[in-house]
Amino acid sequence: MKSIRARSATMILAGICAWLSATACSREESTVGLFLYNEADPYIREFAKQIMSESGTTFTPVQYDAGNSQLIQNEQLESMLAKQPALVIINPVDRLSSHSIVRKLQAAGIPGIFFNREPLAADLALWEKSYYVGARAEQSGQLQAQLVMQLFGGDPVNLNGYDRNGDGRIQAIILKGEQGHQDAEIRTREVLRSFESAGFFVEVLALEIANWNRDEAYAKMEYLLRDYRRRVELVVSNNDAMALGAISMMRQAGMFQDTNHNGRIDRADELWIPVVGIDGLQEAEESIAEGYLYGTVKNDSLSMAKAIVELSGILLGHIDPATAKFPPEDGTYVWIDYRPFISKE
Amino acid sequence: MRKPSISIGLNIFIATMGIVSVILLLTSLVFLAVFSQTLDDVVESQSREINKQIVMNFEGYINSVIETANYIQFASFNLDAKDDAARLTELYRTNADMKKDVVAIFLFDTNGQPLIGPMLDFALADSVASLPWFSLARDLKEIFHFSATGKSSIAGDRDEGVISVSKSIEYTMNGLVSDGVLLIELNDGSITDLARKTNLGEGGHLLILDDRDSLLYSSETGPGPMTAASYPLARSLYLGGLRAEIDRTDMYLYANTLLHTRWRIVTVSNVDEINGAMRRLSGILVAIFAVAVAVSAAVAGIISLRVSRPVTQLRRVMRRIEEGDFSVPVEVSGQKEIVLLAHSFSSMVQKIQELMARLVAEQREKRKTELRALQNQINPHFLYNTLDSIVWLAENQRTDDVITTVVALARLFRISISKGENFIPVQDEIAHVRNYLTIQTIRYQGKFTYELELQPAMADLKVMKLILQPLVENAIQHGVGDADGHIAISGSINGDSMEFRVSNTGYGIPDSKIAEMYETMRGGAEHPSVGMRNVYQRLKLYYGEQSDITISSVQDESTTITIYIPLDSQEGRQP
Repeated sequence: MKSIRARSATMILAGICAWLSATACSREESTVGLFLYNEADPYIREFAKQIMSESGTTFTPVQYDAGNSQLIQNEQLESMLAKQPALVIINPVDRLSSHSIVRKLQAAGIPGIFFNREPLAADLALWEKSYYVGARAEQSGQLQAQLVMQLFGGDPVNLNGYDRNGDGRIQAIILKGEQGHQDAEIRTREVLRSFESAGFFVEVLALEIANWNRDEAYAKMEYLLRDYRRRVELVVSNNDAMALGAISMMRQAGMFQDTNHNGRIDRADELWIPVVGIDGLQEAEESIAEGYLYGTVKNDSLSMAKAIVELSGILLGHIDPATAKFPPEDGTYVWIDYRPFISKE
Repeated sequence: MRKPSISIGLNIFIATMGIVSVILLLTSLVFLAVFSQTLDDVVESQSREINKQIVMNFEGYINSVIETANYIQFASFNLDAKDDAARLTELYRTNADMKKDVVAIFLFDTNGQPLIGPMLDFALADSVASLPWFSLARDLKEIFHFSATGKSSIAGDRDEGVISVSKSIEYTMNGLVSDGVLLIELNDGSITDLARKTNLGEGGHLLILDDRDSLLYSSETGPGPMTAASYPLARSLYLGGLRAEIDRTDMYLYANTLLHTRWRIVTVSNVDEINGAMRRLSGILVAIFAVAVAVSAAVAGIISLRVSRPVTQLRRVMRRIEEGDFSVPVEVSGQKEIVLLAHSFSSMVQKIQELMARLVAEQREKRKTELRALQNQINPHFLYNTLDSIVWLAENQRTDDVITTVVALARLFRISISKGENFIPVQDEIAHVRNYLTIQTIRYQGKFTYELELQPAMADLKVMKLILQPLVENAIQHGVGDADGHIAISGSINGDSMEFRVSNTGYGIPDSKIAEMYETMRGGAEHPSVGMRNVYQRLKLYYGEQSDITISSVQDESTTITIYIPLDSQEGRQP
């Protein structure tokens, strides 16, 4: 009787211990939240997939989709922070709301990695454990300009044959993503500024807003071509989707014909004019390969995902900061370069 | 014997009440906890929804402002500020006029010189570049800057309080693109209008804090004591909710960001209804608890009574029997088991009664046999003495006396035997005593005199034989000394009993001796008076408790022994 009682007591104790260690174990598995501004955005969906696959076995982020609403993201963050996560990875819906988010993280003592939409430097400075992994928006515009300048011969005084009317100026149509949108503003501004500082004279025939949208770009291109079909020598788009929309309309309007009858569409054709985008979508690459799209600037989301996972590993204590491939600059920023992408010709 | 624990009834009662109370209490507490949690969740999510609705209203408003700004920005880029100055100015003006909450729209160059817009306030004309909204926009180009400084419009002809929305934009002038600063002034009443539509309950209000935690706006009307309490809480609440008690009212603070700004909106909703609901629920639960406890107490009481009453009845009967009263009927109603137990007990008691009755009867028979043997015994000394005195009389030629003595002795024996009857007429008993006295007077030769007196009415009444002779023997032995003794024997009917009195003169008996004698009579030591004890025992045996013998004595005078025999005694009447 006594021994049975003693045995059952030890069994209960063992059970409690097992349970305790199990909960201790589950606590050890760090909770990491991954907050996406909008999963409906294919770029973000792709990005999230890369982060999830890169993180692999190190940690498994819990993914939240804000559906393009900062209010929803706030709620998701709040409920996640209540669980005392080890780290949160945030793609903010509204970059300015990061102000409150950073302060909230600071108050909770939880490190945060921001990506895709850059918080203000002043806001990131509030909390030493807040980071940003991303590309410099201005770089995309600069690279875009470089691609164009390369095509036109690189000499602003002596433009090559792509200056179709030979007036020494490049007549351009600019497709802007979204009025007031940070990236759209910066990309537009930087591409124009780069031309300017390199001495290229670019005449903006029209600046049209197409809200990052392929269909909208396609529709707006119709009346732009009506006005500028004969004069346009360059189409600069804030992203690939709009560039592809523009190309569709341009083809419909009779451009991109195999005028030299070499069996394919290429730059040598008379009705080919350069269209440049940004992002490096799969479709854009295909279009480049087919000879339509001149080039794009790839947002290197894979490297960004790797940088985010590496930084997470450092913050979670899995990785030695000394071996980091993407060490944060000034302890805050990890900059991933854009990469120009054109067909080899 | 172990100390008895509490009774069955109490046991049942306590157990039932304990179980009922514990279950009720647990149920109530769990219910209360779950309900309170759910209520909290519901009310808090309600507050959150209200907050989101408010923020959405503000966002809608801000978006419309930004749309206007974008439109103007676009126009400023596409239209030349010099060549199309009139068109651009018109566009600025119409946009300002179209929206009733837009006070004025300006475009400044990077030095703060006005390019487009209404006339500036004279005092500010040269210092625009030093105004906060201007430097903010110039230093951080990509975003819209919302400044609520509480200042009034910089337009010369307007003086209402405004919120300044500024942004660095590019404009075209003389064919060249330059940076400039766009300023849209919003009537700060627009925020008030948005906040007024909100429903945050009694005392509820909303606060807008900027990135420095300064209070931009509070919807509270009046002096603002609530704001004084809620503002410090809101300052440290960056996102999410917080429960707090403000002015003895439960409030739920919820902070959210405001799109395109670094501001946050904190709603303070009255959630005191939770307490009211909890109080009501607690009241109901307490009432249910009380009723349930009362009902179960009643039921448990009844059950415990029904179980314990027959047991108690049985116990009472048993105690009576324990005390020797076997006459109590063992009648118990109630539970089957108890009734069966009572039946068993009853038959056991009956058995015991039978056994006891038999034992008593046997004992009595045995006693009677013994006593019969005793009563038939004539003191051998008496016989020897009598025969001795007959011899002596015969030697002295006292023939008459010899005859008298022998006759008396013969009669004595005849009466003694009485054909084996136990009960003889009183006159025979008296005759027996007289014969005895006759013999003794001859033997003691006039040392005592005697008298016999019998109430004639009792002469034929039956009495147990040989009850007087032993007493008379005692009286002679103890009462007859050297001086003249006198022995008086009387029989009378007094009320419902016969009394026989034997008294003798003499020294009397001291009270202590009398007590000793009673003791002897009632069954103590045999000594000294075997005869009297014998009489007493026989009386008790045949006549029962109502018969008695008393001894009374007057010092130096006399001693009287009285026998009481009840008249209605069954055995007294029947031989």
